[in-house]
Amino acid sequence: MPSQNNPDDRIALLQGTLDLLILKTLVLGSCHGQGIARSIQRQSEEVFFVDHGSLYLALQRLEDKKWISAKWGVSENNRKARFYSLTAKGRQQLVEKTSEWQRLTRAMGLILDGRPSSEEA
Amino acid sequence: MFRRRRSADDFTEEIKSHLALEADELQSEGLSEEEARRRARVEFGNAQTAQERFHLRSRIVWFDNLLHDIKFAIRQLIRNPGFASVAIVTLALGIAANSTIFSWINSTLLDPIPGIAHTSDMITIMRGERSEHPTPPFSYLDFADLRDSTRTLSGLLAYHDEYMAITGSDKPERVYGAVVSSNYFEVLGVRPILGRSLESTAPNERLGTAEAVLGYGLWQKRFGADPSIIGKAIQINLHPYTIVGIAPEGFQGCKSGLRSDLWIPLGMDPQVWGGDRIKYRDALWLNVLGKLKPGVDHHQAENELNILMQGLAERFPDAHKGPNMISSDPLWRSPFGVNVYLYGTLPILSALALLLLLLACANVANLLLVRSVTRRRELAIRLSMGASRRRLVLQLMVENALIALAGGGLALLLTTWTAHGLSAFLPPTTLPLTLNGSVDRTVLVVTIIISLLTAAVSGILPALRASSLAPVSALKDEALNISGGIHKSRLAGGLVVGQIALSMLLLVCAGLFVRSLQSEQNSDPGFDPNHVFLAYFDLGPMGYSRAQGIEFDRQMLVRLKSLPGVQSVTLGDFAPLSFSIRTDFIQPEGYVPGKNESMEVDRGVAGPEYLRTVRTALLAGRDFTDSDDASARPVSIVNKALADRYWPGQDPLGKRLQVAGHWTTVVGVAANGKYRRLVYDAAPLVLIPMLQSYRSGQILYVRVAGDPLSYASSVERTVHGLNADLPLFNETTLAANMRLGNAFERIEAAFAGSFGLLALILAAIGVYGVVAYATKQRTHEIGIRMAIGAGKRDIFRQVLGRGLRLAGFGLVLGLMISFALTRYLHGMLYGVGTADWLTFVIVAILLCVITLIACFVPARRAASVDPMQALRTE
Repeated sequence: MPSQNNPDDRIALLQGTLDLLILKTLVLGSCHGQGIARSIQRQSEEVFFVDHGSLYLALQRLEDKKWISAKWGVSENNRKARFYSLTAKGRQQLVEKTSEWQRLTRAMGLILDGRPSSEEA
Repeated sequence: MFRRRRSADDFTEEIKSHLALEADELQSEGLSEEEARRRARVEFGNAQTAQERFHLRSRIVWFDNLLHDIKFAIRQLIRNPGFASVAIVTLALGIAANSTIFSWINSTLLDPIPGIAHTSDMITIMRGERSEHPTPPFSYLDFADLRDSTRTLSGLLAYHDEYMAITGSDKPERVYGAVVSSNYFEVLGVRPILGRSLESTAPNERLGTAEAVLGYGLWQKRFGADPSIIGKAIQINLHPYTIVGIAPEGFQGCKSGLRSDLWIPLGMDPQVWGGDRIKYRDALWLNVLGKLKPGVDHHQAENELNILMQGLAERFPDAHKGPNMISSDPLWRSPFGVNVYLYGTLPILSALALLLLLLACANVANLLLVRSVTRRRELAIRLSMGASRRRLVLQLMVENALIALAGGGLALLLTTWTAHGLSAFLPPTTLPLTLNGSVDRTVLVVTIIISLLTAAVSGILPALRASSLAPVSALKDEALNISGGIHKSRLAGGLVVGQIALSMLLLVCAGLFVRSLQSEQNSDPGFDPNHVFLAYFDLGPMGYSRAQGIEFDRQMLVRLKSLPGVQSVTLGDFAPLSFSIRTDFIQPEGYVPGKNESMEVDRGVAGPEYLRTVRTALLAGRDFTDSDDASARPVSIVNKALADRYWPGQDPLGKRLQVAGHWTTVVGVAANGKYRRLVYDAAPLVLIPMLQSYRSGQILYVRVAGDPLSYASSVERTVHGLNADLPLFNETTLAANMRLGNAFERIEAAFAGSFGLLALILAAIGVYGVVAYATKQRTHEIGIRMAIGAGKRDIFRQVLGRGLRLAGFGLVLGLMISFALTRYLHGMLYGVGTADWLTFVIVAILLCVITLIACFVPARRAASVDPMQALRTE
């Protein structure tokens, strides 16, 4: 079944986090929007709810910044789709954003639990 | 950024593909095709919203809104052509007044010497007391010493303007030339477009080289823009010169508003002038222009030059008996050239134009207020549909901006025509005046800025008012018309009071200027300008020697005198009130000048019967006769002002008077007259006879019976009987010629007057608009009043009373403002005080009458309301 979780348990993505997740997803190779959405949802164990409108705007935004590039292609099951892939600039951004994010979560963990968050460990 | 990076269709396509992919995946997870498609769609959320958000992001929203607002505003204005055209024309008049004056300021005060490189670093230098018509400050030797020793100036140039003639062809052409120092073009930063400048004469500046740089206009006109002209010879005043360069287009010399046609080295002055003043330290004939070194201001330069001049005066005391004090000015208010007459006038005109524009703004604001009431429903609907107040105000402001820009466009069209109006006030003259405005980029930009400011000033209050309504009550309560207009009409009333006050101020200024001009024109110039024909000619370029010229003059006078209708004939090297009189240094017998006292007075060279011909009263002694020639003893005639100043209480007749180094005997005393401007007090004047002090450039005066210009052909025939080739130019009358002497007062009066008239019309429209509108709004109320017994008279009186009350407030306010502000006109008025009660009273009465008329129509309409009708229509 697609999404067993109650929608209320899903966490709306913060602006900026979505960008990072998109970049991370694309490290594995080029992908279309629907694939990216599925991938994020699946990898977060269905915790994240990806608002598709926001996703496409984010994709557009990243494309404008030239972090990702896009071109029309054909999916595995022969559907026309717009495929996104990471640019060199995007790769570099991913590294930066990841370390930024880790610093943030570490700080949050310190404040909330008095110790670094588990991901850090 | 306005360009969309990716089409909306492409985006839609992507969303479609997403839905298809999602459906495929769901289907593969076991859902039916239909269910999968439905789930995919649900999962995606609102595809429409996503597309909309894409659209908002991909374009700059405000730009879209603006485009929409502009389209909407244009539709609104087209739907209301009456309102739109009245508002546009009103603003156009106000803006055109400003852009016209600005176009003049732009091409005179802001660009005093066109075509030079560093206008703001340049200074002009004057010697002695500040004057509107200073004489050249330096001798050549003093100039050269100052130029070589100054440390505050990076360059000091000298020039002297002189009429010259290009000879060598059948008809000599009179041109306005300048003899200039060798560094002239370099200091100005003017590079010839062809050939070179005159710097090669630097080593022998005093001797000079026979070289000439031609002005662009002369090169175009006389030499057909021939580029091979460089190196060729031309004849100037019968002497050969080599053309070495062509000045760039637009450059016209160093005096504001005056054009030079060609430039030759200083050392050639003896050939042009006939004397060798270049050798003498006490011959003051050179005007100078200095270029400040970086970081030096003109006061520092002035101080240094004064110290240097002091040194020169100590080393050469005999050559520096006159005033040696030096003062400098930035170019925009240079006392050399026309700016000296404009830098006081134009800012005042500009202020008056601004007042007029404010009035126009008030009128348009009133129109907008009225309109916003009729648009209340529309605005209320838009508010209740969710438009923000900011959006509404923005929308209304866009409309105002469109009106103002349309007005500005119309004003620019008007300005392309009125910019040339400055020269319309100048009579035909031999002076090479180039006084004109033009519409260039600066004028365009300033006009647009003025227009937008206009939109803001006239529109912001009405827009805020219009958008501040509570939508529910506005929609629900149509009866608002009765009670709701109250605070709006208070604003409108305030606007009308302000309008009347402003127009009072404008009219008072106009009245003062007109009265000043009147008293100037009614003043006695000291001669009778009627029935005198004038013609200018120059014998020099025709090759006449001094003796031949004097002989020509004698014969011409005899022949002209015998023409029927001619009463008397004379000659002069000047004509009164046309900026043509020159000065000379005098030494009256028995008078000891104070230290550094200037002994420079107005000096005219005049032919036999001069006083008789211009009808200046002879107080004692005699007029010049044709026997006052080179063989007789040198004589002079002085005016009363000169006699009173230097020989108070003594009989001037028979006194000896040195003029320009030559002793003369005073044979006549003339009554005082005005020779420069009518507004000046009579100044000391000395006349010397043409037959003794010959000048080749002369003006012929012919006093006739009847219309002077009807004698033009017979005078021409007579003169050409003596020399068929002699050109007579600027044939005019003495009366017309002297209009140059008060051109600037006429400009002030004409503009202040027309601004005043426009102000009156605008005020009348304003009062009418407000009273008429308020009356119309109260039709229902008037109907009720009449129904319960009010008479037509009561209603009439009430409406009229309201209008007059506004007018009364406005007049009192206007009087206070006028009294406070007109004193700034002091110094620009002649024969009338700045608090001239007659002007104030006339203006007040005029405004009262106009307000009465403006209120009369709506009052009558109100009084004729049929109560039944009025009550039924609501």
